Amino acid sequence: MRSPEKIRKAVGAVRLSRRGLLRAGLAGTAATALGGLATGCAVPTGSTGRNMVLWYWDGGLGDTVLKKAKARYDSTVDLKAIKIGGYYRSKLITTLTGRAHVPDIAGLKGEDMASYLPDADQFVDLRTLGAQKYESQYLPWKWQQGIADDGTMVGFPIDCGPVAHFYQYEVFRKAGLPYEPADVSAQLNTWEKFFAAGEQLRRRIRGTSLLTDVNSVFENIVQQGSRRYVDKDRHFIGDQEHVRHAWRLAVEAKRRGIVSDLVTGTPDQISAVDTGKLPSQLGASWATYDIKNGNPKTKGKWRIADMPVRPSNNGGSFLSITKACREPERAFEIIAWMLNAANQASGYVDAGLFPSTPASYGLKQLREPDPFFGGQVTTDVFGPAAQKIVVAYNSPYDVALGQPIKDEIKNVGVLGKDPDKAWSDAMSKCRRIAKHLGVSY
Amino acid sequence: MASLQHTRRPRGIKGTRGRGIALHAVLIAGLLLSAFPFYWAVIMSTHTSSEIFSYPPKLLPGSHFLQNLRSLFDNIDFFGSMLNSLLVASAVTFLVLFFDSLAAFVFAKFDFPGRRALFVLLMAIFMVPTQMAIIPQFVMMAKIGWIGSMTALIVPAAANAFGIFWMRQYMRSAIHDELLDASRIDGANFLRQYWHVALPVVRPGLAFLGIFTFMGQWNDYAWPLVALTNPDNVTLQVALSQLNGVHGTTDYGMVMTGALLALVPLLVVFAIGAKQIIGDLGKGAIR
Amino acid sequence: MATALEKPPVIAERTPAAGPRSGFRRYWHLYAAISPFYLLFLAFGLVPVGFSLYLSFHRWDGLGSMEWAGLSQYQYLLSDSDFWSSIGNTLLIWALATFPMIFLAMVTAVMLNSAVRFKNGYRFAYFLPNVTSVVAIAIVFGSVFSTNFGLVNALLQAVGLDQVAWLNTPWGIKVAIATLMTWQWTGYNAIIFLAGLQTIPGELYEAARVDGANPVQTFFRITLPMLRPTLLFVLVVSTVTGLQSFTEAQVLLQNTSNDSTFSGGPDHAGRTMVLYFFQQTFDNNDFGYGAAVAWGIFLVVVIFSIINWRLVQRRGED
Repeated sequence: MRSPEKIRKAVGAVRLSRRGLLRAGLAGTAATALGGLATGCAVPTGSTGRNMVLWYWDGGLGDTVLKKAKARYDSTVDLKAIKIGGYYRSKLITTLTGRAHVPDIAGLKGEDMASYLPDADQFVDLRTLGAQKYESQYLPWKWQQGIADDGTMVGFPIDCGPVAHFYQYEVFRKAGLPYEPADVSAQLNTWEKFFAAGEQLRRRIRGTSLLTDVNSVFENIVQQGSRRYVDKDRHFIGDQEHVRHAWRLAVEAKRRGIVSDLVTGTPDQISAVDTGKLPSQLGASWATYDIKNGNPKTKGKWRIADMPVRPSNNGGSFLSITKACREPERAFEIIAWMLNAANQASGYVDAGLFPSTPASYGLKQLREPDPFFGGQVTTDVFGPAAQKIVVAYNSPYDVALGQPIKDEIKNVGVLGKDPDKAWSDAMSKCRRIAKHLGVSY
Repeated sequence: MASLQHTRRPRGIKGTRGRGIALHAVLIAGLLLSAFPFYWAVIMSTHTSSEIFSYPPKLLPGSHFLQNLRSLFDNIDFFGSMLNSLLVASAVTFLVLFFDSLAAFVFAKFDFPGRRALFVLLMAIFMVPTQMAIIPQFVMMAKIGWIGSMTALIVPAAANAFGIFWMRQYMRSAIHDELLDASRIDGANFLRQYWHVALPVVRPGLAFLGIFTFMGQWNDYAWPLVALTNPDNVTLQVALSQLNGVHGTTDYGMVMTGALLALVPLLVVFAIGAKQIIGDLGKGAIR
Repeated sequence: MATALEKPPVIAERTPAAGPRSGFRRYWHLYAAISPFYLLFLAFGLVPVGFSLYLSFHRWDGLGSMEWAGLSQYQYLLSDSDFWSSIGNTLLIWALATFPMIFLAMVTAVMLNSAVRFKNGYRFAYFLPNVTSVVAIAIVFGSVFSTNFGLVNALLQAVGLDQVAWLNTPWGIKVAIATLMTWQWTGYNAIIFLAGLQTIPGELYEAARVDGANPVQTFFRITLPMLRPTLLFVLVVSTVTGLQSFTEAQVLLQNTSNDSTFSGGPDHAGRTMVLYFFQQTFDNNDFGYGAAVAWGIFLVVVIFSIINWRLVQRRGED
């Protein structure tokens, strides 16, 4: 045990240094806090100075277009395109709620579009900036999707997502299935024939599955139609025939063994695709970008054919201008230029973004053979598909009320849950959520 | 406590040595298990994404580290976000050490009206799940404009119930009442007692709390993820999560390189302070 | 710690000698000293908690206006099977992680205590897992538990067992998350137990050795009872932090769904309570419901902690 004397002596020796440290620390902290408070009081809700901030996601816009836009408008604004990782919609809404660092121009994903429309007041009505004069240049159903019920135009169309059947040429040939795109389109034109092909594939080549999961069957069939889960009058329609039909076919897909139990995007699934164990995907045009990035080793092995029955639409996004933008006219000028027919064509080359401007379809870039797909001109499939897409009503409540059904069919597919139980579980969950959200059941 | 009636002969030397080797063997096995994920992280960061997910798993480091490093720096502002993390972690550590040791000193060595009630309140605070505060804190900070800035991370974290809890326990045993009394007799006021008597003795406890706080702030993920809405100005953990692509296009080699580099400052801090925590902690608690 | 509250500080009577004599002025510096903490807590703890309670009686999507909803959010919560299963998931994962962890930590601490050489080296290495970022480690574990390429399955196959689809089955997911948590916290708690062990007077061990006790008897009759306060501390902290686990589950399973980064894997088997909170709040923009969920979580944590406390305390009393 030390005596008080000794302690005081020892302590005195370090007194100065500790006091100095304390002073420095306090000063530093005070500076930070004050600095924070100061900017806190004056922080703009959007970008600062010459900056024009644009938020998008990986594959949402082509690199070439962004570079050219930056150069083109450099004299007036500093266009900063920020690629947001993670869950985009969540991040955007959180930022809008946070009222700070809100981007001037925000990409909006097609599948989320309907859920942004009730909050249309967060965005500038593009009609007030003269958007209507561009309307004739875009696919009508796509243009409509960006418009809220009261006519406010929230989103300016980027791409659309016509879905086609991507398959691996050699694998199909080895399994005795049709392998030329025209043959595949013609012969696998109904779900029954598609499933039969899946069974044949599994029989002929061990360990293969035609599709990754039942969800791609389920969701594509729903998206082939004109109705989703909630109608215009806020009435739940997810228990009706169009959904039941999709459900039955998805269950059949599982029963007939044409789907795997892997999850899209996991390393296991990626490797299965690489080795030809998962030779097919029902994907939209933008999915070509994902395959090229995720499975580069499969270059040249793919072809594209029509999907069974008729094309569905999956995704396809928009650009919007938020209320935080200080120069909406300038922002609109940039958007309209980036999304004109010529630039949309280059977006197709860079990221597989299928143009929603029909004028692009004749352009050279869309007539180029794609080496990743064995030299096939992919527009030959996507172009007609885009024209055949059925217009659907997307309700803001579709996301919440479709989710339980999608979750349950996933349980059937991955965990082997009993389909009838899964359906009734899904319906009871939907009923609860509908009540919670004020959707009539 | 049980007492045993019969006596036994002392164990032989052989028994002790054998036990010693067995002991070390087990400890080394545990050490390898502890360290293994770090080794795996090194392996992941020296290979490309497709090499990582190949069978059989690669057990030796590869040659793609520089490549991954380059992708990492291309994709995120690594050093900028690291600086942010450093700023936040240091500021919070300083504030916590100061406020918490002061408050702990009061609770440990003084009696005053309401002491018990306030302490119980402290324990209750400790149990409040942090997520409960996330939405309201977010909304509040949106109103005062702190969202997107580091202030939103620093100020709330300065109130750390665990720190007071820990320092109080430590101080109760480490600071001897005789010392305190002696200083009082000499005329020391409250601040002097704190500064000259309490602090020097509890240095190991402070070191532990400091390192623990620093680490916690460095690794903090959930709140910064929500509060730092400006993608250009984030902390390291959030920056790393920005690397996750959509639909499986994540470049795991690059992500792991980032994660590995993110560990380095922590390891440095830990190495410096390790002796302090691990070595002196036990001693300080008794004497 | 329960015992601490019962014993008042030794020098309570002597305090009056320290400062001015009259009433509040005697203590003002003490209140001033603890006030920064309580003020911060008021601003960033109490007010948000109060607001959160207020919010849980409303409907709000974060952007529009708040609508009064009465108790409907809580009614919804009680009937929400997803919430209840998230509680179950959390408790199961907690149990799978905590019991092995405490056992391993104690054993490690006892061994470290007896090892004479390399002591600091061991302690450094064992503490290391706690130093890392959970995000980074979750990525590593994700790779280690991968079905076709993971080390764990490679090892299983090497000894002739079947592969397990760890991250694709409900139990596999829980085991993977629990393993991560165990790995991360064992070393840390071992150090804490070690500190506790070092407070046990050597004389007790001497006496036991003289009486001829073997190591096992010594452990159960001397070590364990003396470690009870430390055990209580470890248990309480593990409960409070373990029940709130978020990062491990979120990062390990964030790529398993195309709809959400908070999904928790197939059948939401890895969706802990906090992960569920994040999903409802940030995926669904349901801030009012999110607040109700947060309160639900709080209740669960409090109840469970009290149960824990009582159990360990009672065993100390017999």
